[in-house]
Amino acid sequence: MRPTKKLKQYDNTGYLFILPFYVFFAVFIVTPILMNLVLSFTRFNLKEMKFIGLQNYLNLFEDEFFVRSLVNTGLYTFFTLAFTMLISLFLAILLNRGLTGTPLFRTSSFIPHVVSMVAASMIWYWMYEPAYGIINRFLAVVGISGKLWLHDEKLALVSIIIMSIWKFTGYYMVIYLAGLQTIPSYLYEATAIDGASEWQKIWYVTIPMLRPVTFFLFVTGVINNFNVFEQVNILTQGGPMNATTTVVHQIFIRAFRDFLMGYAAAQAILVLIIVAILTLMFFKYGSQEQDVEVA
Amino acid sequence: MQRYSRIANRFWVAVLIGISFVMIFPFILMLSTSLKNMAELQRPVFSIIPDVLRFENYPKAMARGDWALYFWNSIYVTAWTVVLSLLFNSMAGFAFARLQFRFRDSLFIVSLIGLMIPPQVNMLPIYVILKYVPFAGGNDWLGRGGLGWLNSYWGLIAPYVAGSFGVFLFRQFYLTFPRALDDAAVIDGMTARQRFMYIYLPLSKPVMASLVALKATATWNEYTWPLIITMTTDMRTVQLALSLYKDEYTIEWELLMAATAVAIIPLLIIFFCAQRYFVEGIVTTGIKG
Repeated sequence: MRPTKKLKQYDNTGYLFILPFYVFFAVFIVTPILMNLVLSFTRFNLKEMKFIGLQNYLNLFEDEFFVRSLVNTGLYTFFTLAFTMLISLFLAILLNRGLTGTPLFRTSSFIPHVVSMVAASMIWYWMYEPAYGIINRFLAVVGISGKLWLHDEKLALVSIIIMSIWKFTGYYMVIYLAGLQTIPSYLYEATAIDGASEWQKIWYVTIPMLRPVTFFLFVTGVINNFNVFEQVNILTQGGPMNATTTVVHQIFIRAFRDFLMGYAAAQAILVLIIVAILTLMFFKYGSQEQDVEVA
Repeated sequence: MQRYSRIANRFWVAVLIGISFVMIFPFILMLSTSLKNMAELQRPVFSIIPDVLRFENYPKAMARGDWALYFWNSIYVTAWTVVLSLLFNSMAGFAFARLQFRFRDSLFIVSLIGLMIPPQVNMLPIYVILKYVPFAGGNDWLGRGGLGWLNSYWGLIAPYVAGSFGVFLFRQFYLTFPRALDDAAVIDGMTARQRFMYIYLPLSKPVMASLVALKATATWNEYTWPLIITMTTDMRTVQLALSLYKDEYTIEWELLMAATAVAIIPLLIIFFCAQRYFVEGIVTTGIKG
């Protein structure tokens, strides 16, 4: 049907156009994955390399720091993601009601997302400061005794989670807002005719209609949060007593402090496997739910 | 829009104000702290408004370390990363959307692997790769002997030039262009290169702007990678310098907050001027997924 046959012909200029991208892609994305795999079977300290089979993987689960980091990362991912998604959904629904000052609220929630994690961490480091920090000052006014926060073994991870929720909520909210705007208004009108209350509309129209957005945020959120590193390294360096060490923090320490490159590579491969399994699980679960709906 | 009772509306506005306040307050505190002195900060009664605005904290904070150089490093690295990656991404996106060549679709699918690999996982092997770049940083032709691209601008830029997301976005965008445009150009005797340069690239402004905002923010805010590969103080970026500020000097909160403010204010100004593109870029990420 197309008038020009010329466009359909194979043409090698296409390769020239993708070449620059593919060179960087091959060197900095594909090769590293393969290298991780190879290195994970070796003992490598940047000078000598020795093939040691599966030894690195066997060592992983006897490494109490690594086991601890897996637990911490799991807790961090679960709580950060759960609260971020709940709060951002709530905020997005509120902002979608067309109340006065909506753009201002939207912008202000988005600012924590724009600033760097380093800057955000510095500010929260000061807010968590035990003697003069604003949080303990506020608690004192309410009559609660001050806490050590980042220096307290029990509270350190919680402190990092709270900060991360603050940092990520705006991003999730903006995406939820965009999702809300794609919901056709006749659905609300129809439920209004049926006499649905505000809450029923949210429960039976808004939340089900947002499922694809929620699914996207959830999957990317799991991947991103599972790789948490910056806040941890800046605020606590994994301490106190490894209470906040995470998987990527362990990789960082093993690779660039201890120079156990092979061992760190094995950890990285394990992270890739875990993330891949989680993603596949969600995709399977997500599509199953949709099947049920269709049927 | 439905009608809501005025009382309910006021209640929800109050809730919104409360949450927005929580979001913004840390920044207000940062500015307030940066203009106080130690004695004021340690006073038992807290006040958000400083007694006197001590702007001298800012030059004092900047005197610790070579901040002009850190800013230059960050600007240089960000500019090159953004320019190279967007140029290469748009070229690849154009080819995947409009040119015919063997294995085109398979090559495109393969390029999407980049979306699924967490960058943190690849840092160790990239470090090894950079160390063995031949002829760079005192290396011989086999990449032995020196530092390679470690502790260099190229080491900070190169790993971020490929960007699967950019390729994906450009391709989707170019697919929406009418075919008639290409047909007309071909009749006029334009080559693929000319079509890209004179038709596709000039029409890419919206998607460009969003990607510039996304990529520039991400590069400017990058912390982990500079932390790993820079070794000397003169290669530090703004974020790295800020992160080390509290470890290298005894903490003086007013100076730390002044340095933090300096590090984020340029980005905030750009954000307020081009908010649309920041939000659009992010929204496309979400909707496309």
